[in-house]
Amino acid sequence: MKLINLPLFFLSLLLGSGLAVSGDQNVKVETEIEILAEGLDHPWSLTFISDEEMLVTELSGNLRRVANGLSDPTPIAGVPEVLFAGQGGLSEILVDPNFADNGFIYLSFSAPDADQPKLNRLNVIQARLEGNVLVDHKTLFQSHPPRRTAAHYGARLAFLVDGTLLITSGDGFNYREQAQALDNHFGKIVRINTDGSIPEDNPFTTTPGALPGIWSYGHRNLQGLVIADDGTVYEHEHGPQGGDELNLVLPGKNYGWPAITYGVDYSGAKISPFTEHPGMEQPLKYWDPSIAPSGMTLYRGDMFPHWQGDLFISALVPGDVRRLKMQDNQVVGEEILFTEFGRIRNIVSAPDGSLILVTDGKDAKLIRVSAKK
Amino acid sequence: MIKQIQAFLISLIIATFLVVTHTTATNLIWLQSINMPVDFQLVIATMATDLVDMNSRGAFPTIALIFVGLLIAFVTARIIAIWSSIKAPYLYALAGGAALLAIVALMPMAFYNLDLIAGARTVAGRAYLVVAGLIAGYYFGSHIQKGDSNEAN
Repeated sequence: MKLINLPLFFLSLLLGSGLAVSGDQNVKVETEIEILAEGLDHPWSLTFISDEEMLVTELSGNLRRVANGLSDPTPIAGVPEVLFAGQGGLSEILVDPNFADNGFIYLSFSAPDADQPKLNRLNVIQARLEGNVLVDHKTLFQSHPPRRTAAHYGARLAFLVDGTLLITSGDGFNYREQAQALDNHFGKIVRINTDGSIPEDNPFTTTPGALPGIWSYGHRNLQGLVIADDGTVYEHEHGPQGGDELNLVLPGKNYGWPAITYGVDYSGAKISPFTEHPGMEQPLKYWDPSIAPSGMTLYRGDMFPHWQGDLFISALVPGDVRRLKMQDNQVVGEEILFTEFGRIRNIVSAPDGSLILVTDGKDAKLIRVSAKK
Repeated sequence: MIKQIQAFLISLIIATFLVVTHTTATNLIWLQSINMPVDFQLVIATMATDLVDMNSRGAFPTIALIFVGLLIAFVTARIIAIWSSIKAPYLYALAGGAALLAIVALMPMAFYNLDLIAGARTVAGRAYLVVAGLIAGYYFGSHIQKGDSNEAN
């Protein structure tokens, strides 16, 4: 992990100044770029714990603190052992809505199964951040059943407006048909309380054979999850070739995977000849060819007034950010931004209204996008 | 030599056809099991689409993968045939089965335990694909044998 230096900072400011032209109304949004940190090892998620201090997860298992443009070379201690393989590892980080008072953070990660170490599960824990150490760990969720693949974990977390926690659990790649069954966590969004218990008003608590934590089903590899102020849940997921989706998620609904899809398998085979079916929800938008959506934020800041209420989606292929103009829960415009950084793993709104881009890979960067002064 | 190439190409087509249609069947049987409206016309249309797309649109053309597998297996079988008394149809059938077994066993090792051929995700599915290789190999071995006896005449 390298510390940011002043010449690099000014160079990045100089080179990174740019112009983003909003496609919907031809409004020119001038931006400037600042590299906050570099040398990160497969960063996956970040969250702000104060106006200037953020925590960053690295898939390889480290949790790092970045403050005032300086990244702490010593990772935070007390992070559980993770399975760093394939797409697995230390994934999402989320702070408790009352973090200032209770210090709780939530982490998702893949780890070997305790009884069958060749298999693994998606785990979600709660822990308290005390200085530079995580303490008081509590396991809130383990996906069921365990899997042998190290792919398609989902692993995003978000709080609903009622304080319950949503967890995205991917289809495990090899287990895609299980996304249509309610007796497992493959291809599901799960809703739990912050003590790990199941909310009584979950949609399948009285369905025989269903796991009570399930909130919605028929998903593939859910990598973006945001909750609007009015409680609207937006989720995006990696589809197969040509089937990446943005969905508006409602409890109890079936989002169709793999019975309906706009994509085809990596082998070229038709996974399903159907793109719609009664009782299965349609996406708000799908991408063909795929963009490999990897993270999402709903812009609520003041720094870019023209972008208020827009969804920003980071994309791995070919590597850019999609700004989606939303109106009445429909996508009414799409703009491609920040094509110069390669694969982008995540995008987060900062408290000051700037956007933070997280690039992908072994030598990755955190990049702040601000309005040009 | 031309007959051998012809036999190889036909065995390649047999194996590819069996692998592709097995994938189609695997997907459609599951769809039908959850009451999706799968009818005969859809089966034929999907099979035709898969035969084209699995050899042109995927991350890897299925026929190319099988080509490499069968080529290595048949060349190896030809070398073994110098010392072995196993009849050619059976020897090449074993080689064809081994080629498909290697493909379905090795691919997950290269991709984090992911089975990129959907039909190969179950033991029964893998067994079927091995049988597809056996059939293709048997055809090749039978044809080679006929070719050899023709040359002797």
